[in-house]
Amino acid sequence: MKRPPLPTEASFTSPLRDERLTARIGTWLGVCFGLCFLTGLISHWYYLNDAPLLPPVRPVWGYRVTQGVHVLSGIASIPLLLVKLWSVYPKLFGEVPFGKLRPLLLNLAEKASIAVLVAASIFQLATGLANSAQWYPWSFSFRSTHYAVAWIAIGALVVHIAVKLPIIRAAWVGPLPEPDLGRASGREFEPRVEPGGEGASDSQPELQPATSYGGPSRRTILRTAVLASGVAVIAAAGNTVPLLRKVSVFAVRSGEGPQGVPINRSAKAAGVLTSAVGPAFQLTLANRDREVTMSRADLEAMTQRIHQLPIACVEGWSASAQWTGVRFSELLDKVGAPGDAALRIRSLQTRGAFAVTELPASFARDPLTLLALKLNSEDLSLDHGFPCRLIAPNRPGVFQTKWVTRIEVVT
Amino acid sequence: MRTRLAIGVLGLVMGAFGALRFLQLDFPDMVDAVLWLAAGVVVHDGVIAPLTIALTVLATRVVPSKARVRVTVGLVVLATVTVSAVPVLGKLGERPDNPTLLDRNYLVGWLVFAVLVLLGTLLAGPVARRLRPGPGMRVSRSPG
Repeated sequence: MKRPPLPTEASFTSPLRDERLTARIGTWLGVCFGLCFLTGLISHWYYLNDAPLLPPVRPVWGYRVTQGVHVLSGIASIPLLLVKLWSVYPKLFGEVPFGKLRPLLLNLAEKASIAVLVAASIFQLATGLANSAQWYPWSFSFRSTHYAVAWIAIGALVVHIAVKLPIIRAAWVGPLPEPDLGRASGREFEPRVEPGGEGASDSQPELQPATSYGGPSRRTILRTAVLASGVAVIAAAGNTVPLLRKVSVFAVRSGEGPQGVPINRSAKAAGVLTSAVGPAFQLTLANRDREVTMSRADLEAMTQRIHQLPIACVEGWSASAQWTGVRFSELLDKVGAPGDAALRIRSLQTRGAFAVTELPASFARDPLTLLALKLNSEDLSLDHGFPCRLIAPNRPGVFQTKWVTRIEVVT
Repeated sequence: MRTRLAIGVLGLVMGAFGALRFLQLDFPDMVDAVLWLAAGVVVHDGVIAPLTIALTVLATRVVPSKARVRVTVGLVVLATVTVSAVPVLGKLGERPDNPTLLDRNYLVGWLVFAVLVLLGTLLAGPVARRLRPGPGMRVSRSPG
């Protein structure tokens, strides 16, 4: 049997592929990647404990918006990336100029930079998408790997923009040219054969009248890519935009849950023992050697405040809810905690990296920050952090510690 | 040229920072991440792209040319949005202890979405013809 020859760049005959189309899709994709990268940096900053400058306490919905934009701009990138890769796929089979050193090196350098860009882009979108559904089919640490590869992807993208800048500039001058039918000689888009007419002739494709091409224009492909991107966003955005809950058929969460709020991590998954949250539960407040212990009844006896605050998770879902509980700063005053002291919050959870977290003074002393006892007017369910949990404005959900058992001044 | 050089150097610095962070990962993590990085390219270049081209070739034979534009738009939207929904369609992060995660009927959702795309594809032609009657249409039936 004869082995079929490897395809070359000329084997791909779609008249739609054109560097100006690629550049325009690429511009949209670049905007999405830029947004995704910046909001990703913001999220990374929110997760840092030792940042020289702390995230602000206002607006209360800050992280909700930035992380929603992060996940949705990633989802918006998926159709754009797929169409863009389709538009440049033949280049994978482009000729390598063996023989002359300089062109060979340049060619290989460009191929390598594109390989890094494509690999890092697919990696970021795939791992981010999986993480949004809490699916971890790999063994590496998501956070540090997603962060490292984000810099690799954006660096490779910036290099790519530098290389392609003249093409990008040219692509935005004037309208997108219509398909070059001289190239439409056969495989992917055959010129239409008219019944009784002369039809497609491979030997004289340039004689083929433009009107006989039945396929889409390049502008249609560009618009389709942008449309698909928008549809993908709407189909997922119900996770974080309440108005879209009903139409977002691919949202990871319906928005339902105990007391009307979804759960990121259940008590079972966090290893919270039911015995630990029974009547014997005690909260300990500690400032050096000064300690106060309180039961849930003691907490209920304090002045109760009601605040509307969102819970917003790194996976891109969020929900606003009404929280009832004790103002955090009033608890701190019970042990005379200094106003500028950071707090260490310990949870009853026995599994997970966030059983002990630090709460900066600015958040601890914010009048909106609560040690919540109730959610939407009902006692917290166990999965929402019963007996008591932290809720602060503008913080990632993972720092809104549930099942709080000890609050101590960081010395 | 100076602008391009400056942008290029900026990109290299950003990428190098990422590479340094990447090299600080634990070795087994790094190996796993490298496999995932390569797998994405292999799956796209070796499976998704050839399948797309095979499907395009098939479609140009099967789909009547007056419907090609609509069918192209419909298929691109259907396929790419479906890719963005793979983890939910497979309910891949589902956990028995958390019923609020992946709690929609995604199969029904996908069917509704597919039917809407199909309806759009079927109706786009007649609607466009109604809105833009006459010989000014882009797809002409005459052989020129």
